[in-house]
Amino acid sequence: MRTLTNVLWRLWLPVLLVVLWWFASANSTNLFVPPLSRILGVMGRDFTNGVLLQAMSSSLSNLALGLLIASVVGVALGLILGETKRLRLILDPYIHFVRSVPQSALVPLIIGIFGLGSASKIYAVALACVWPILLNTIDGSLGVEVGVRRVSRVFGIPRMLYYRRVVLPGAMPQVIAGIRVALPIGIVVMVVSELFASNVGLGFYILHSSSTFRIPETWSGALLVGVIGYVLVIGFSLIDRQILAWYHKSGAR
Amino acid sequence: MSNTESVPGGTLTRVSEDSLLRVTDLSLGYGEGADEKRIIENLSLTVGNGEFVSIVGPSGVGKTTLLKGLSGLLKPKAGQVVVGGGALEGPHRDVAVVFQDYSRSLMPWMTTRENIAFPLQGRGQKKPLRNKAADEALDAVGLGGQGNKYPWEMSGGMQQRVAIARALAYNAKVLLMDEPFASVDAQTRFDLEDLVIDLREKLGVTIMLVTHDVDEAIYLADRVIVIAEKPATVVDVIETGFGTHRDQVATKADPRFQDARGRILTRLRK
Repeated sequence: MRTLTNVLWRLWLPVLLVVLWWFASANSTNLFVPPLSRILGVMGRDFTNGVLLQAMSSSLSNLALGLLIASVVGVALGLILGETKRLRLILDPYIHFVRSVPQSALVPLIIGIFGLGSASKIYAVALACVWPILLNTIDGSLGVEVGVRRVSRVFGIPRMLYYRRVVLPGAMPQVIAGIRVALPIGIVVMVVSELFASNVGLGFYILHSSSTFRIPETWSGALLVGVIGYVLVIGFSLIDRQILAWYHKSGAR
Repeated sequence: MSNTESVPGGTLTRVSEDSLLRVTDLSLGYGEGADEKRIIENLSLTVGNGEFVSIVGPSGVGKTTLLKGLSGLLKPKAGQVVVGGGALEGPHRDVAVVFQDYSRSLMPWMTTRENIAFPLQGRGQKKPLRNKAADEALDAVGLGGQGNKYPWEMSGGMQQRVAIARALAYNAKVLLMDEPFASVDAQTRFDLEDLVIDLREKLGVTIMLVTHDVDEAIYLADRVIVIAEKPATVVDVIETGFGTHRDQVATKADPRFQDARGRILTRLRK
């Protein structure tokens, strides 16, 4: 009963907004603001004929691979930097320098370097996503309790086991937070990477439809990206609750 | 274990059969050269096999520093710590530690069984074996069947029992305890003290306890070593002579307890 009330409480606003949009745009004659009914109609059509599904699968696999690379590299490097003060002091300025460059601006360069295929798009997503994950992992590893470190030393825990069972889980709340921040950045770069010399993906679908004045398609593509982002964030918070069960339940921090 | 070995000075000395932990002219401190600050100076003591020794001293005297030195976390500036025949050069397999702050020394992402088994995993012990050892240790501290719980599901006293179980399972020759009962309430404290006495009686572990609580030091130990002054060194040694069995009421009412208490408090007030 309580969950039902919760769901209703969360649903009323989006439902209201969609209804408002539907009626406000119903008689629109503006080329750039088509009626919502047409946008959804086009979306339904392109789903059934497979165009959108193909675009989605191409985009999402790039996103997933890019995010995976960013997570592996960001976490591994972050743990090492967090545990090695000397290395951290040397590399810190460079990390902040590279991180401050708008990642979307690098996309054309990455495509220039790595070519037109999906590899360059994956790298672009990875490069954009790695920074928040890296920085959060460093913070997380620095936050691991002194007491826990001391115990590991006294009981002679070997280095790899120490990283795997002490520093990584200790830093995990921040690692997860970093990935959560990286997710929307990755979605933006995913779309942007498909705007340059591409013929697949959601970005291409959006760009191509707008340059050929099929504005309802443009809207439906943009809307779909938004929905994907939302669904991914929700899905991710479910994973978060699984992995960090101890963290949420202990309520210590 | 009646081996011979060389000691500083070059003479060959026969190590007495039951001397497990021997500290000779130990000096500990921080910093190097001109910035060096000595916390412990010329401290010597021995702990025999199966003995319970308390080290008591006022707050800030350097008890934690001493414990770091004894557990191999801090390198001596001078002198040495010998455990079971070999000089300590870092954390040692024969030394286990129970820290004061149980909430920071247990890992919240591990169950109590995993926490206790973790040092054994570090030693390369296989899972069924180390889990069995962990469950036995849990039984020994009165937490049988609670291996699947997480530390944060337990009270402070229970968490400290888990920390004690972890040190027991490590099966070291010496158990070092750093004010292990300072963060729990009075009743829990008595329970834990009696648990330690009980464990010692049953398992014959050698224990060295560092505390600022004079009553606790006397109640638990065969021998109380008083440290004071700056830098700290041994100022008095008292044999309690209570045997292995103690009682919170009777032992504390014993005239020998009162004498020792008076002597230590007077010494510390100087």
